[in-house]
Amino acid sequence: MAEDIVDVLIIGAGASSAAAAWSLSDTKMRILCLEQGDWMNPAGYPSTNKHWQVMLNPDYNQSPNVRRNEADYPINEDESAISVANFNGVGGGTILYSGHFPRLKPSDFKTQTLDGVGDDWPVDYYALEPFFAQNDRNMGVSGLAGDPAIPYHEPPLPPVPIGRMGEVMGKGLNKLGWHWWPSDSAIITEDYEGREKCINLGPCNYGCAQGAKSSVDIAYWPMNQRLGVELKTRCRVREITVDENDMATGAIYFDEDGVEHHQRAEVVIMACNGVGTPRLLLNSKSARFPDGLANRSGLVGKNLMFHPWGFVQGIFEDRLESHLGPMGTCMLSQEFYETDPNRDFVRGYTLQITRGQSAAATAVNHTLRGNIPWGADHHAGFEKYAGGSVNMNICCEDLPEECNTVTLDPNLTDSDGIPAPKITYRLSENSERMMQHGVNKATEALQAAGAFQIDAHGHTRGTGWHLLGTARMGNDPEKSVVNSWGRSHDVKNLFIIDGSIFVTAGAVNPTTTIQALALYIAETMKKNLANLFD
Amino acid sequence: MADVIATDSFLTEEQSLSLRALLDLIIPADADRGMPSAAELDLVGYVSEFASNQIAGIKTELESLDQAAQREKGALFGELEKNDQQTLCDHLRETDPRFAIAIAVQTLNCYYQDDRVVIALGWKARPPFPEGNEVPQADLSLLDPVRERGRIYRE
Repeated sequence: MAEDIVDVLIIGAGASSAAAAWSLSDTKMRILCLEQGDWMNPAGYPSTNKHWQVMLNPDYNQSPNVRRNEADYPINEDESAISVANFNGVGGGTILYSGHFPRLKPSDFKTQTLDGVGDDWPVDYYALEPFFAQNDRNMGVSGLAGDPAIPYHEPPLPPVPIGRMGEVMGKGLNKLGWHWWPSDSAIITEDYEGREKCINLGPCNYGCAQGAKSSVDIAYWPMNQRLGVELKTRCRVREITVDENDMATGAIYFDEDGVEHHQRAEVVIMACNGVGTPRLLLNSKSARFPDGLANRSGLVGKNLMFHPWGFVQGIFEDRLESHLGPMGTCMLSQEFYETDPNRDFVRGYTLQITRGQSAAATAVNHTLRGNIPWGADHHAGFEKYAGGSVNMNICCEDLPEECNTVTLDPNLTDSDGIPAPKITYRLSENSERMMQHGVNKATEALQAAGAFQIDAHGHTRGTGWHLLGTARMGNDPEKSVVNSWGRSHDVKNLFIIDGSIFVTAGAVNPTTTIQALALYIAETMKKNLANLFD
Repeated sequence: MADVIATDSFLTEEQSLSLRALLDLIIPADADRGMPSAAELDLVGYVSEFASNQIAGIKTELESLDQAAQREKGALFGELEKNDQQTLCDHLRETDPRFAIAIAVQTLNCYYQDDRVVIALGWKARPPFPEGNEVPQADLSLLDPVRERGRIYRE
């Protein structure tokens, strides 16, 4: 039997993979994607059940160490100030993300030039701009044009409703003279491309039963499959193989029965996120690459960036019905995004304003804190807090530091015996100062909006949604893992397209930028097909 | 789920009696608001279905409660007069901040998802999907001062 060799092998079926596969499909090359998880069944998402408030754990928990689905691999986080949040399945992290979709800004791509920290990217905002726009159309993105905190762009759909809570917060921010704007959201607010519009179910972060949240299992993969892209689920890659010429030859993977296969390929694209990609590269050791594949720079797994994340919650007397609506997307303030030399930190943060807590969470949290009493006064206490909470999230820019790493744990393995990743991470002094500033400013905003009680929680550990920087882009092979269009400096037919390639982190949820980069890389590959490996 | 303590309970009859008494102290009925007592709900059935990993902790907390009642008042908690239950409960809460915490958390989760409670609060006793919720769009002219200020990003 002839050996099965595909033109393009993509590892992972999340946000970047879906976008790149869509773009490459018009080449008519044979494209195969291997995904370790399975397709999701939206009919099983918590919002389809009356007891959805307690069905969020553990099956839809954001931590693989809690969730422990068959598709998950464990992560040693003992030495990390932030724990990882991910999802393994068709759609990847977009299954559980909020759909909050702000772009990186022009200044994010040149932090060294502007602020003397981090490094400049080898691409800039304007090179990515057409790919942001294309991705907005493919995903179905809502928002309001004209935000003065970002170059002008027109989201294809009108913004998600910010509700009464948004109005109250907007008035408060106006008193302070601060920036705010309805968030760009990967949530369709009108029927779009055969999908039905958002009906404000609420718990978007546990899967959208309506299909209105633009997770890529819905927004991209059905289209990709119609275009001829092949997708195999329950296939966990162990190793990328290479030949004596430093060219990738394919991947060794285990199928759902644990049977080992070797899939040959002309081109390999890594799309496994900022933890999964370095893990797989470090697991792909060979005589030619004794420190892990594509790692002659020694930078694979280094410069891990999350976004240090904090919360401040305000409680309002008005029944704002703040528990209704897409939970993670409402509005944002980027008043403190850009560097200000008068502050005691460099770079900045986004204040992401999100919906309030559900009834059960309100009752539990405020009873345990002593705000709602036991006994006859319980009911009045609950009424005081129900439907009136607003969360201000502080999303801080994390600067790259080589001491923050993804390595291989010497003992921990997944169910196929593949070494698991270990995270070593600490917050920098700059991040600590930025976070304190953010907590103070969020408190000020909630006061201005009229909150009668404000609870500042500051940095919170379980917030490692954004996995960035562990196989960075750059023009210098000694200081980066991939070049300006995602190709490995060391292995000419190996590409990386996920958050690993971020040079700096910005201070926003990264998915839209990850996908714009993936589209940009795919487009550059197509333009260079004749001499792709030169 | 039934609205009474289930017969296939993971608790003994004595523990069920003590639990019911404790639940009525945590959330008593409020006739004016139309709110039931937590003791009227099927907490045991709820825990069995949605929080079975909490069963051991709940049993341990009830054993401690009954031991304290025996020690302080000479009877199981569920057998005490209401005033004695309240006095003992207040004392235990003062001396142990984690007193009955597993029971309290599951009680609150059960209570605020119960149909009678949800309806009394003016909300809809159904899952979010497929009917969804109405959320109004705000008056976006509120953004005028933000627009007037002009560009704030750096190139």
